[in-house]
Amino acid sequence: MTLARLAARAVMLGCTLLLAACASFTPSNPPLAKVQPDAGYRFERLERGDNTDELFVIVTFSGGGTRAAALAFGVLEALRDTTIECRGRRRALLDEVDVISSISGGSFPAAYYALRGEKTFEEFPKRFLYRPVQSDLTKLLFSPANWLKLAGASFGRSDLAAELYHREVFDGGTYADVVARNRRPFVILNATDMTTGTQFPFIQDQFDLMCSDLAGVPLARAAASSSAFPGGLTALTFQNYAGTCEYRQPAWVQRAAQDHALRVNPRRTASAENRLSLAAAGPARPYIHLSDGGVADNIGLRGPLAAITSTNNPWSVLRLMNEGKVEKLVVVVVNAATNPATGRDQTASVPGLVDTLTTAATVPLDNYSFDTLELLRATVNEFNEEARLVDGCRNLAARKGAQCALDIPAPRRVELYPVQVAFEYLGSADERAWFKNLPTSFELPRETIDKLRAVGRRLLNEDPEFQKLMKVLKGTPP
Amino acid sequence: MEYVKVTFPTRRLVYIDEEENGYTNEVLRVEAGTHVFELGTVANYRPGSRTVTVKDTTVLEPMEIAFFKKDES
Repeated sequence: MTLARLAARAVMLGCTLLLAACASFTPSNPPLAKVQPDAGYRFERLERGDNTDELFVIVTFSGGGTRAAALAFGVLEALRDTTIECRGRRRALLDEVDVISSISGGSFPAAYYALRGEKTFEEFPKRFLYRPVQSDLTKLLFSPANWLKLAGASFGRSDLAAELYHREVFDGGTYADVVARNRRPFVILNATDMTTGTQFPFIQDQFDLMCSDLAGVPLARAAASSSAFPGGLTALTFQNYAGTCEYRQPAWVQRAAQDHALRVNPRRTASAENRLSLAAAGPARPYIHLSDGGVADNIGLRGPLAAITSTNNPWSVLRLMNEGKVEKLVVVVVNAATNPATGRDQTASVPGLVDTLTTAATVPLDNYSFDTLELLRATVNEFNEEARLVDGCRNLAARKGAQCALDIPAPRRVELYPVQVAFEYLGSADERAWFKNLPTSFELPRETIDKLRAVGRRLLNEDPEFQKLMKVLKGTPP
Repeated sequence: MEYVKVTFPTRRLVYIDEEENGYTNEVLRVEAGTHVFELGTVANYRPGSRTVTVKDTTVLEPMEIAFFKKDES
């Protein structure tokens, strides 16, 4: 090949890459002509079937790559194999699960279960858990055929990953398929809005704000957004069509925003302001960039906590409690957090840049997760305290004599069962250390995955709150 | 968590911020902040709605939000 021909080819390649870079953005989320509150992926629209509200079960799956996916899958299997007595008949505890909230790696089994239900147990291990996803992604990155796409300013590594998941994991499934299944659990995949730093749930209520139809979004894209680990993967871009679908904010939003100066509930006000910002006509933010859900909350528990403590939530459990529909509330937190051993403190050397940056990126996440779990504990205590206070006053008054008995009106009573599945609860220090040193990757050896599935089942079974629940529900554990 | 008791002579559905939220004369849980309270079904009550900032309540001392029948004083 002559030098001239080589140069011509280089120029051609350069021009092609330049054209690709200038290629226009093709949104993966279609617009919504008019908001339809009685259509789309919404909690209240899902067929309840035999699933009772009296026993309300929320399950959360944390981030942590394939480690988190395998642990979550192990817990799903265990819930399927646990039978309880409900309304006089025996049934699987899994059939009582009302909501699954997931992050990153945990979003893969969650999304698959939303799409395929029972078939998940047969298909998911082969489709995702035992697949060398990380190697597949690397191969795609090094394939010249994809360089053109990657040269585009609005196409990143996560878009490539989403294409792979769409083809190989979710078999082309979209939210339209999940809507068509029309049954609980309500599965919420969570990403992070990079600009506001807030959680971005893949539910129609959220997409209403952007005047977009979630039904047209591939599950793969939701899972890819939820697991777009900063650095390794890129954020995914969604089009915001706000202001084009006659959307009206719920009544509480304006009130909560007006509370700003009063500072009566900054969390509620922030949530309202976030909704207003996303739905601002124009739109004020035409493109929304979504990153890993773990950036906002790595255990997927913040959304459920908001639903438990607020009536202003698209799937408010507090509302159901006020209506007297919920008697027992179970929250199963599946947390695949690790704590890798380090030799840092064995030497006087100044920690390197990578070590320092990794610490800076992960420590706040871990601390936030710790606080989120503490918030769950505080919420449970608040409900229990409320009941104890009312009972205490009644008993105190009654002790003075029947004539002193007080009729204290009290809110509907709810029993809470916070169940935690986490490596830190493993009894054996060696075993705990082994699991806590597993890497975060989309590829793990088969034996490791099998161990994670088994330990998920065991940890669920050993949790004191789960054991208490089993007793109350005459359950047969897995 | 905050607590309210929406009072009315009879048992009626309570709407908080336009959503069904239990019944009158029961203690209901709400998040702190400004909420709009209304009753369900028949509009024979007054006032038509009440906008209230709920805060600093306890389960033993819920905030009382009163509605009356239209023909009552």
